[in-house]
Amino acid sequence: MSSVSKSPWVIHYDGSSCNGCDIEVLAALTPLYDVERFGIINTGNPKHADIFLVTGSVNEQNIGVVKEIYDQMVEPKVVVACGICACSAGIFHDCYNIIGGVDKAIPVDVYVPGCAVRPEAIIDGVVQGLAILEEKSKALEASKKKGE
Amino acid sequence: MELIVSLVGVPCLAALLMLIVRNDKARNVLAVASAAVIGVLSVAFAIIYLGDSPVYFALPASTAGMLGVVNFLIEIAVGAFILAYAIRYKRMLALGLAIVQLVMAVWIEVSVLAGHEFSTQMRIDQLTVIMALIIGIVGSGICVYALGYMKDFQSHHADQKDRRPWFFALMFAFLAAMFNIVFSDNMAWIYTAWEVTTLCSFLLIGFTKTEEAINNAFRQIVMNMLGGIAFQIAIAFAALNGLPLVFSEFLTAGTMAANSASAALFAIPVVLLAFAGMTKAAQMPFHTWLLGAMVAPTPTSALLHSSTMVKAGVFLLIKLSPLFLVFPIASSMVVLIGGFTFLFCSFLAISQSNAKRVLAYSTIANLGLITACAGVGTPEAVWAAIFLVIFHAVAKSLLFLCVGTAEHHIGSRNIEDMDELFERMPRLARFMMLGIMCMFIAPFGMLVSKWATLVSFATTGQIVLLVLLAFGSAATFMFWGKWLGKLAGIAAHRENVELSVNKSEWGAIVLMAVLVVLCCVGMPSLSSAFVEPYLMGVYGLASSVIGFDNMVIMGIIVAFVVVVLFGTLGKANKKLVPVYMAGITVNSPKRIFRGSLGGEREATSRNWYLEGIFGEKRLNKPATYFTAAVLIICIAVSVFAGNIVSGSVSVPLYMQTVALNESVFSTLIGIVAFLVLGPVLGCLLAGLDRIISARMQGRVGPPLLQPYYDVRKLIAKDNVSVNTVEGTYITMALVFTLIAGGVFFGGGNFLMCVFLVTLSALFFILAAYSSRSPYAEIGADREILQVMSYEPMILFVAVGMVLTLGTFDVAGILHSNAPMIVAAWPIFIGLLFVLTIKLRKSPFDLSYSHHAHQELVKGVTTEMSGRTLAKVEIMHWCENILFMAWVAMFFVWSNPLSIVLAIVAALAVYFLEIWIDNNFARVKWQSCLKWAWIVSLVAGFANIAGLVLYITFM
Repeated sequence: MSSVSKSPWVIHYDGSSCNGCDIEVLAALTPLYDVERFGIINTGNPKHADIFLVTGSVNEQNIGVVKEIYDQMVEPKVVVACGICACSAGIFHDCYNIIGGVDKAIPVDVYVPGCAVRPEAIIDGVVQGLAILEEKSKALEASKKKGE
Repeated sequence: MELIVSLVGVPCLAALLMLIVRNDKARNVLAVASAAVIGVLSVAFAIIYLGDSPVYFALPASTAGMLGVVNFLIEIAVGAFILAYAIRYKRMLALGLAIVQLVMAVWIEVSVLAGHEFSTQMRIDQLTVIMALIIGIVGSGICVYALGYMKDFQSHHADQKDRRPWFFALMFAFLAAMFNIVFSDNMAWIYTAWEVTTLCSFLLIGFTKTEEAINNAFRQIVMNMLGGIAFQIAIAFAALNGLPLVFSEFLTAGTMAANSASAALFAIPVVLLAFAGMTKAAQMPFHTWLLGAMVAPTPTSALLHSSTMVKAGVFLLIKLSPLFLVFPIASSMVVLIGGFTFLFCSFLAISQSNAKRVLAYSTIANLGLITACAGVGTPEAVWAAIFLVIFHAVAKSLLFLCVGTAEHHIGSRNIEDMDELFERMPRLARFMMLGIMCMFIAPFGMLVSKWATLVSFATTGQIVLLVLLAFGSAATFMFWGKWLGKLAGIAAHRENVELSVNKSEWGAIVLMAVLVVLCCVGMPSLSSAFVEPYLMGVYGLASSVIGFDNMVIMGIIVAFVVVVLFGTLGKANKKLVPVYMAGITVNSPKRIFRGSLGGEREATSRNWYLEGIFGEKRLNKPATYFTAAVLIICIAVSVFAGNIVSGSVSVPLYMQTVALNESVFSTLIGIVAFLVLGPVLGCLLAGLDRIISARMQGRVGPPLLQPYYDVRKLIAKDNVSVNTVEGTYITMALVFTLIAGGVFFGGGNFLMCVFLVTLSALFFILAAYSSRSPYAEIGADREILQVMSYEPMILFVAVGMVLTLGTFDVAGILHSNAPMIVAAWPIFIGLLFVLTIKLRKSPFDLSYSHHAHQELVKGVTTEMSGRTLAKVEIMHWCENILFMAWVAMFFVWSNPLSIVLAIVAALAVYFLEIWIDNNFARVKWQSCLKWAWIVSLVAGFANIAGLVLYITFM
């Protein structure tokens, strides 16, 4: 494991949802699950974050925001879609304003289904995201070397 | 002698020529030529007279008599001029004063001084040389600048008559009068030149002839005529009582009169001359004339503030300073008014958005400091005062010239409108930043002089002055820092508007900038070649207040900052990204975004002016009444009870500081050691912090090395930035923290360590401002406020250190018999309080924090990513170790085992900080400022007063 996967900083964004998954995300920060054990920090600032944790689906209003946050994040970065709404829009899928899952706006690396998604599943998803982060980091390193 | 005549004569001649010549081109050529001649002459003068001074010039009686008559005629002419203006504009007060002054002048000439023979007419010493250089180079540089400025001014005011010949004549006449003041040794001649400067500035302030200008011009003349009349009374009193009228003899006779019957006779002229000096130096309650003078065209302001007029006032006070040692009432008056002027005007400057008014308040504040130093009167204090004069002259003229040019090109002198000047006028903004930095931050001259001031106040036990200095300096950081931040913003794609700046303006600005840098870098030589010989001549003993090696280190850092500022800044080759607006960015340079409330809106931010706390409405009245009361009481006591209170040495305490370990070499070793230990220990401490915090919250927490993993990851991230300068600023902040640590662990000067930490904080703040992210800007504003909150207490720590150990050097703790905590525990408690602010721990984590991540996004560091953020983290590790070392310092004494105790104590304190962090909710900035200052005031004042009393009486 390189340093990248020892210090995954997370930014959490809630799209269009019932807030159930958000509460589970916050639960992961509490003493019971204590994700800081793995170096995970909830940053609230895309410039500092490595992992984009999205709950809820994408709609006409927020698609721009989701894209903006993703663009603001510095490479290497990973997107984890938490909960079934984020994966495929879930029970909201045929609402008039819903576009679909997060992958309609930005490339998603890990899908974590569930309604609501359990904290254990979230942690599991983030850990899977770490492996992808590791790969992307290596790719970035290689491209940097090529550039020089 | 010929040189002196030509130094006075050339500006006079130039003034006459200016009146005659009406053609623009001819005027340009003539003015540049005269300025160059004056500059060269003053340098030649300095070279010739530097070595063998003081030199006296006694003219043959016939020539002297003739010149005396000329002087008298000038005096009458000046009086008549004022009288005519007062009648024309129907100003009764000015009229009355002018009549009094004329009558006095005639009376003195015809009756009092009739037949009086002066033994010498001119006197030249190193102080004269310094003043001549300032007047000759800075003054004439401003005249050159005025050429371009007034051309623009005339085209902006095309409807008015072209009165430029008059303007330039006055500028040069001003210089001639100033030369006369500094060269003359004959009090009557000094007085004449004194009045000529008053009249010249009256005419220059009223130049535009608007109602406001006329009102302000009359305010100036009324206040300065009060000073002038005091000067006249002093001369008359001295003549009638048989005191010497040659200024140098007056000074020596005054000092000799200590503890003798004639002391009482001197008390009255001394206090009156001091009064005259303070009116001219615009000290409270007379500060309003200098503020009013801002209506004049900018070159006038630059001239009044930097090289002439107000400098005449402080020149007189510095000359008088040996007398203040033996006349306690005059000394208290000067010290108190100077000190309070410094404090109040620094506060008032915070509330101003008009750049020229900020400059004016800062000038008055600095003059206050010079006045206070002169009032203390010890060689150390005078050393500081002279350096303050030098650096203030060069830096302030640079700033005025920059503001003047900016005003003509951006159409405003409001600081808010100078947003992004770094891009719109790239060169000018850098010059302005250089000027601002020189005014308030180490390693630049003004702060090094303030450092000397602090040393001289601490070693003479000036408790009140120390408190005033500590709080005033903190305010200084606030108002300069936020202005600097406004300039530093970069948003890309702004139009460059500086291409049309006149050549003469560039010439003068570059000249001033070069002078600033030369003076800062050459400070050690300035001290040994000019200032120390002067003090040797006056006091018979002299040493530079700040160690040679420390000045050298400061000089090197100045050179480094200047090279970065002008050489490399803005040239980094990075991928640029837009700032984060917490919504959908529509236009990044203009900061337009679409937020959750819908619609496009623009993010705007303004500086903090804190008008409710430091506004003119709130402070002006008490400040004026208080200083006026001090003035009246002191003059009254001197006049009516002079015989009781004069003639004893007035310094409560006079101790020498020892320099123990200030060599460049030990600093280098310290830096190397800190370079290794700081980050390693800091990283472990940060890991420990996170684990303990987690345990306090009932969690397991991350591994001990988590901060290290974070930094490793940040370094591996892609290298992007919102602008090209942010990374450079952060690198500088990190470097300065490392040097500060090096100074501390090398056993060097504690104050220098403190100043370098502040410098590092400034660059951190600048990096945030440069991003122009609304969140980073608010974070930076708050960071400035936090610096202002904790700065006084840190200075008190230094003062406590020198009073207990007798040295500012950290190595001193190893030589003491008892740890500092024994005698300085109140200061230690104060330090603990502000430590929470310095460590950015809750409840004072206003600017940015590890908790409450959603508020303000991430404050100061919002736009920092990757390597830049990694550097910030490392900087904080090092800072934390340094601050803990400050704490540990209180527990170390000559016993080597005490170091173990100190480490335990520091760890305990850090644990306390973590506990506070986890148990208190964040407060508002008002509470942060209020409580930090109350605790600092109580703990600092009580402890310092106690220590001074103990040292004095035990």
